[in-house]
Amino acid sequence: MSAYVIRRLLSVVPITIGVMLITFFVFRVVGGNPAYRIAGKNATPARIAQISHERGYDKPLFLNFRQFPTQLLDAQFPQLCSNLLRLDFGRSFVTKQRVSTMLREGVGPSLCVTTPLFFIELFLGVGLALLAAYYRNTWIDRSLVLLSVMGMSISSLVYIMLAQYWLASVWRLFPVWGFESPRYLILPVLVGVIAGVGGELRFYRTVMLDEMYQDYVRTARAKGVSSRGILFHHVLRNALIPILTNVIIAIPFLYTGALLLENFFGIPGLGRLTVMALFNFDDDVVFATTFIGSIMFVLFNALTDIAYTWADPRIRLK
Amino acid sequence: MMPSSRLLALLSAGAIIATAISCGPVFTSDSADKGNTLCRVGGDFKGFDPVDAVDVESAREVSYVYEGLLEYAYLDRPYHPIPRLTQGMPDISSDGLTYTFKIKPGVRFIDDPCFPGGKGREVVAADFVYSFKRVLDPHLESQGDWIFAGHVLGADDWVKEIGAINGPVDYSVPLPGFQATDKYTLQIQLAKPYPQLLYVLTMCYAFVVPHEAVEFYGQQFRRHPVGTGPFRLKSWRPNYRLEYERNPTFNGQTYPSTGEPGDRAAGLLDDAGKPLPLVDRIVEYDIREFYTVWQMFLGGRIFSSGLSKDYFEKAIAPDLSLSPDLVRRGIRLYKVPEPSTDYIGFNMLDSAVGVSTDPVINERHRKLRQAFASAIDVKKYVEVIFNNRYMPANSFIPPGVAGHTDKPYAYEFNLERAKQLIAEAGFPGGRDEHGNALRLTMILPGAGSTGARQEADFYEEALRAIGVELIVQQLSFAEYLRREHDGETQVFWGAWIIDYPDAQNFLQLFYGPNKCPGINACNYQNPAFDRQYERILTMADSPERTALYEQMADMTTTDCVWALLDYRLEYGLYQPWFQNYKPHGFPYPNGKYYKVLPH
Repeated sequence: MSAYVIRRLLSVVPITIGVMLITFFVFRVVGGNPAYRIAGKNATPARIAQISHERGYDKPLFLNFRQFPTQLLDAQFPQLCSNLLRLDFGRSFVTKQRVSTMLREGVGPSLCVTTPLFFIELFLGVGLALLAAYYRNTWIDRSLVLLSVMGMSISSLVYIMLAQYWLASVWRLFPVWGFESPRYLILPVLVGVIAGVGGELRFYRTVMLDEMYQDYVRTARAKGVSSRGILFHHVLRNALIPILTNVIIAIPFLYTGALLLENFFGIPGLGRLTVMALFNFDDDVVFATTFIGSIMFVLFNALTDIAYTWADPRIRLK
Repeated sequence: MMPSSRLLALLSAGAIIATAISCGPVFTSDSADKGNTLCRVGGDFKGFDPVDAVDVESAREVSYVYEGLLEYAYLDRPYHPIPRLTQGMPDISSDGLTYTFKIKPGVRFIDDPCFPGGKGREVVAADFVYSFKRVLDPHLESQGDWIFAGHVLGADDWVKEIGAINGPVDYSVPLPGFQATDKYTLQIQLAKPYPQLLYVLTMCYAFVVPHEAVEFYGQQFRRHPVGTGPFRLKSWRPNYRLEYERNPTFNGQTYPSTGEPGDRAAGLLDDAGKPLPLVDRIVEYDIREFYTVWQMFLGGRIFSSGLSKDYFEKAIAPDLSLSPDLVRRGIRLYKVPEPSTDYIGFNMLDSAVGVSTDPVINERHRKLRQAFASAIDVKKYVEVIFNNRYMPANSFIPPGVAGHTDKPYAYEFNLERAKQLIAEAGFPGGRDEHGNALRLTMILPGAGSTGARQEADFYEEALRAIGVELIVQQLSFAEYLRREHDGETQVFWGAWIIDYPDAQNFLQLFYGPNKCPGINACNYQNPAFDRQYERILTMADSPERTALYEQMADMTTTDCVWALLDYRLEYGLYQPWFQNYKPHGFPYPNGKYYKVLPH
């Protein structure tokens, strides 16, 4: 298994380089030299040249063939990769703060929303899926499926706007916007759960029903095990692998934040930071969030595979 | 396999621990509900370093906590600078090259740990010398260096010398143009007359900062303002919320007792003579979604709201007055003209649309530019793209600035005339003598945005009506700036927001020596224009100078260097409990005049 883990960990390198290459292409090649934006409308050529030089924007984009082979990597993209590897994320040209500080300040608020959202969605999704599976093909099952499909079909923007208008503005049950106390989190979490639980329910229900028709369930039933016993002791246990996949792969997104919820409800987290960086073409912030996001995604993918062996000892990783 | 009950217990524990850890230390308490507080919406903000106050939001935040030598009178019009941290307006030498300011004694920086004993010290002339040098320091990348560069004696040499230093900059390196001749006397020496100096000294770039704070906080200086302004920063959570409280050591400024006719009747002089600021606290929320802003405004949590395109029709009746529902709530509407002009520029060095040494071709190209301008239905443009929120422009100098006239625009939309002009330019029906369609390329910023796409479609359709094939390239802002800066354009969309209330700020965009890579992005070169520009540079405000401004505007109109589009209008809604608001073209430090009634 250790060889497998090492192989998976090493795969972080090409995947992250690939992701960064695409991001770099969009922001530096298509987006142009940021020195013009930093220097502003009254800039002199000397000022632009100086900013370009200080920030390395005057170097070749990918490889420096002019100084081959000694300085081949003295170019913008290799420099960016080197900085990111050293966790030097640079400075936002919009806020002029260090990106690492901005990320550090954003993680907490993001987790404040995404963590309860994640667990409530998980428990509710699995719980309702078990209920639907237990009462499969009855009105309870059909109603749950109908509600989940309806929930999935409506854009989360609609939920946000309805919640802000009715629950916050008209009925004043919650604050419209803000991040002052746990009370401010109730509405974004509620909206996130309503918008997301439909998909979870559909997924887990399918997983449960797949298990319900397995031979071991028929055997258990023949041995006289109750339906509830079968569901909780056999089906749920055997459905762990897809549940684990779904759960672990979602963990990186807890850190990257909930883009829409954070933006609409004023949660100063990483999702909001990323959205604003994209709007402002704030490339250093985008490079940092993309870099961290891609590494976490690959690592948690590997972790999912490892978790399979823990959940089901029959699985061997080669 | 792991029993599901254990997994459930593990997940539950994880949920509780993770939520507790993530939420525990991050909340801040909101004091917005406490009494005399002004709550508003802020925006992107570069921090509290005056040298970075290039945008509206940064300028406003910096103006709460820092001040400069001069500021604009709040109620008087036309806009004019008045003393703020000086004892009076400066003495100006007869050659217009030396400005002497007497600093007000007794003005103190706020108390802060950066000072010995934590006690704020008195502001002296040397602080201004230090602060002005920071604006010029190339390592700080200030976009405001133009206010001194090229104007102040020795500034350019100083920049070169300092720019060559790798490492900490030594501000004791003398700069002949900035001299503190004694504790309270500041002298600015210019390389050439620069009457606009008084205007640029009102800008945030020229605000005074103590060197102790810059040295004490280092990279964190932008998060720790140490100024003399009416407020001091209480808390700042980036991307979320700012809170200011009254500065207890603010230097005795009072509400103005004079204004324009009508100000008294409007209640704008009711607080004359009262000590500033009038509110105890300002809270700013960083809200980006307009829907949320709207809900907060209707809920009375913020004192004002702008109007996005999508909400314009909900709030504004067809006659551009406030909707009856909002009138019933006591909400007031202000239409504030932004001192700016949007236009389409032509590169005068381009072989297809620019000037030529051959007078016949030159005249044809001029007719081509005029045809382009006449083909754009600007009234329809502002209606379709901006819901009539903007006004069609008739002069490149916006209303309210000396030199603006009410003369109708020479190239108002007239399709028949545009067709005739394009034919006279040698392209009847938009085709040359070989039957090939005339193809022009235009650039505009905002790649990927809906607004840019709508505008591009509009221009292409307008030119198609006269047979011209216009290709509009939507570029990222950086690439757009580069192309404009380097003169790699044929036709380009442009906008200029005036930096100070003097048309010279616009006229510089047509001055020959400012051609690319300077700010004359059209590369317009007209010796007669340049001569007049050099004349007005040294003239103080006078009817003679205004007449020259008008003549120069006429020259650029005749040559059709720009096809004019619009003047921007900002629509603002205000709560009935918000008082003392008067629209202002340069409103950044005005928070100290605003008043909030109990509500």
